[in-house]
Parts: sequence; C-alpha cells; structure tokens
Amino acid sequence: MECKAFDEQLVRRDPEVADLMDRFVSVRLIQANAMDLGLFQFDYDLTFAVFFVNADKTIYGRFGSRSSQKDAAKEISIEGFRKAMQAALELHQNYPANKAALAGKKAPEPRFKVPEEYPSLRGKYRPTLDYEGKVVQSCMHCHQVRDAERELYRTQGKAIPDEVLYPWPMPDVIGLAFDPKEKAKVKAVTSGSSAQKDGFIVGDEILTLQGQPILSIADVQWVLHNTNGPAKLKADVLRGGQRLSLNLTLAEGWRRQSDIAWRPTSWDLRRMATGGLLLKEFPAADRRKAGLSDTDLALMVEHVGQYGDHAAGKRAGFQKNDVIVSVDGQTGRMTESQLFGYLLQKKMPGAKVSVGVLRGEQRVNLELPMQ
Amino acid sequence: MKIIAVTLAHLLVAAFAVSAAEDRREKVLKDRTEVQSIPQWIYNDLSKGVAEATRSGKPMLIVLRCIP
Repeated sequence: MECKAFDEQLVRRDPEVADLMDRFVSVRLIQANAMDLGLFQFDYDLTFAVFFVNADKTIYGRFGSRSSQKDAAKEISIEGFRKAMQAALELHQNYPANKAALAGKKAPEPRFKVPEEYPSLRGKYRPTLDYEGKVVQSCMHCHQVRDAERELYRTQGKAIPDEVLYPWPMPDVIGLAFDPKEKAKVKAVTSGSSAQKDGFIVGDEILTLQGQPILSIADVQWVLHNTNGPAKLKADVLRGGQRLSLNLTLAEGWRRQSDIAWRPTSWDLRRMATGGLLLKEFPAADRRKAGLSDTDLALMVEHVGQYGDHAAGKRAGFQKNDVIVSVDGQTGRMTESQLFGYLLQKKMPGAKVSVGVLRGEQRVNLELPMQ
Repeated sequence: MKIIAVTLAHLLVAAFAVSAAEDRREKVLKDRTEVQSIPQWIYNDLSKGVAEATRSGKPMLIVLRCIP
C-alpha cells in the first residue's frame, strides 16, 4: 500500500476506523508554512504523519513511519492505526492525571518557532497558501525544514551532528522490527543485536519507553530520535500477559547504522557531500572480480547529477559506474549514508577531498569538491 | 551543436518541471475540494481544530499531509 492510499482511507473515513474517528476532532494540515515547530516535531521526510493531541496541545502520540523509498507504507496499517487511536483515547480519558508521563512527548522549545525563521527559508514563503495564484510554489514541503536545519550547520562551517544527519532512526538500527498491525509489538529481533542481548524476544509489546506511553512505531522512533550518544533506555514490556522491565542499550555510534539513502532530504546531502553523485553498494560478485574484500570501501556511482551544484561531481570528472574505493585516505567499507556522515562531519564547504575510483580496469584519482 | 543540445536539454527539464507543477496544482486543489466536502474534517486550520476540541472535550487527530 502507498501512503496515498492510506491517507485516502482516513480522508473518506474508512469503516474500519470511522467509529473511533468520531471520538476525535479531525484536522488536516497540508502545508509546512507557519507550522508550529514546537508542537509538530516529526520525521520531516514523511509525506503523511498523524498526531493525537489534547486541546491544550499535550501530545498523546504520533503515528506514521517509513523506512524505504519503494514500499512507503510497509511500516503502517489501518489495524495498527486503529490500535493507536484506541490508546490515544485511553490516554485522553485519564488526562490530566497522566500529564507527567506525557511531558517527554514534546521537545523543548526549538530554536526557530516556524520554518520561515530558518535563514535559508526566510522571506520565501507566506504563512498561507496562494490558492488563487501559484499554489504549488507557495506551499512549503515538510522536508524543507530538515534541509534548512542542515544548511544552517553547513553555511556556518560546522559539522552536522549525528541527530540531524540520521534523524528518526528506525528500531532495526538496534535490532528490533515491529509488527505494523500492532502498536509496538516485536516481530523480529536481529541475532547478535543489542536488543537481543538486552533480552527482547518476538512477541514482546513495548508499553512504555523512558516512561512515555507508546502508541506506535513512530513513538519508539521519537524516543530514539531524542537520545544522543550511548544510553540505556528503560522499557516496560508486556510478555505473555506479564509486565516486565527491560533495558534497551544504545551503543556508541548506534545512530550511524541508519540507512538514510531513501530519504528525500538525502538529495541535498548528495549536493553537499558528493557533488550530486548517487552511490550504491558494489555487488558482492563484482567485488570479488575486482579483487576487493567484504571489508573494503566499494561504492558504485549509479547516477551523476547534471545541473548546478548537483553537477559538481560531473565537473570533477566522475562517471557513471565508477567504483569509489578510497575517500580522503579511508578504504574501509562504508554505506552511502555513512559516507555522508564522514564527509559532512569532517569536511567543510570549499574543501577538496581526494577520491580513488576504479573505472573498468583502471585506477583513477579525482578531487571531489565539498559544498 | 553542443549549445543546441544543452539548450534542448534545459527546455526539456523546464517543460517537465512545468508539467509536474501543474499536476501537483491539480492534486492540491482537488484535495481541498474533496476534504472540505466532508463535514467531519477541519481543513488546514489548526486554531479551528483547537477551538472545537476545547468546546467538545474531544482530543484532536491531526493529519499532516504533504501532497507530492
């Protein structure tokens, strides 16, 4: 299912959820213009997200997760949405007695109250859409908020921090996969992962994380998103009808295992870091033919940008099917997402980075400009 | 010859961009018309939603939808 289809189910009040929707005030917002960034903190790479909110703007929960470009709706289902709604209604019934447990669902006041206050967006958008004129051009996309945040670090010559580069980590980063038809029920635990070592097993349902009631996978992501560095998160888990307490260990550098290549905002990271090159893993069989081991860096250029700043790689001499085997002296295996991290945290705009590529049988050395 | 090819490429990209914008314009306008015709939805007006939630005592279900 696509996000569009899921969204349409809600708009036309699908019979599977209509009875519960009647117990909410349903609001649809279709613009990032003038969006209250103190309230609406979510994964800005999504094109569909839901908040369950009290009239006083206390957040009960979030819904909406995504982990790939092709299958946009594999982390969501109408069944899971119904369960999230039921849980939100329970929280509403017990409000305000539960107010303290909900406090962590809202972040501290952000630096900018609305997107238009970011320097790269300032003066470009009005608070309302121009329905009578150029409505498309007047509408700010949510992903522009993330782009603007990263651009701010870049223009100031500062390293983009992990939490801004790798936002809203999916729980698979720590070895957990959840059933989209449930709120936050474990459907798989990766062998050897920190979650497995912490004692999580298939069927566990996370009720609270760091004391926050969990209504959805997005709520788990919210807690992960707001945890920097190594940490032990406290989870209340339901297992076979029994409640138990488990830790969820986040090791040093845990966030950098995230795959951000699918995200729309990675398009701008490619401009900054690789001059518009789209990089993919070099297939295992081709690695062996080229004499590269599994631990060697080998990223193949799948696409070379053709215009403006996205053609910086092209102008530097990169070609489609080149295989990058060294970057700034680094030859260890990296994903495209990890390469973004390396370059955007260590190399500032204006720097040139030496890159070694395999082009057929030849080894070619090029200089990649940072932007 | 190279200049003609580059110009044609730019025109092609521009034509595609105009077509995509037209397509999105239709989607945005259609979304407004359709959702506004369903009385249970409050369209693109958070303040109205807050006022209604305060009056009714119901929680809000807020859908953020970026129409691609």
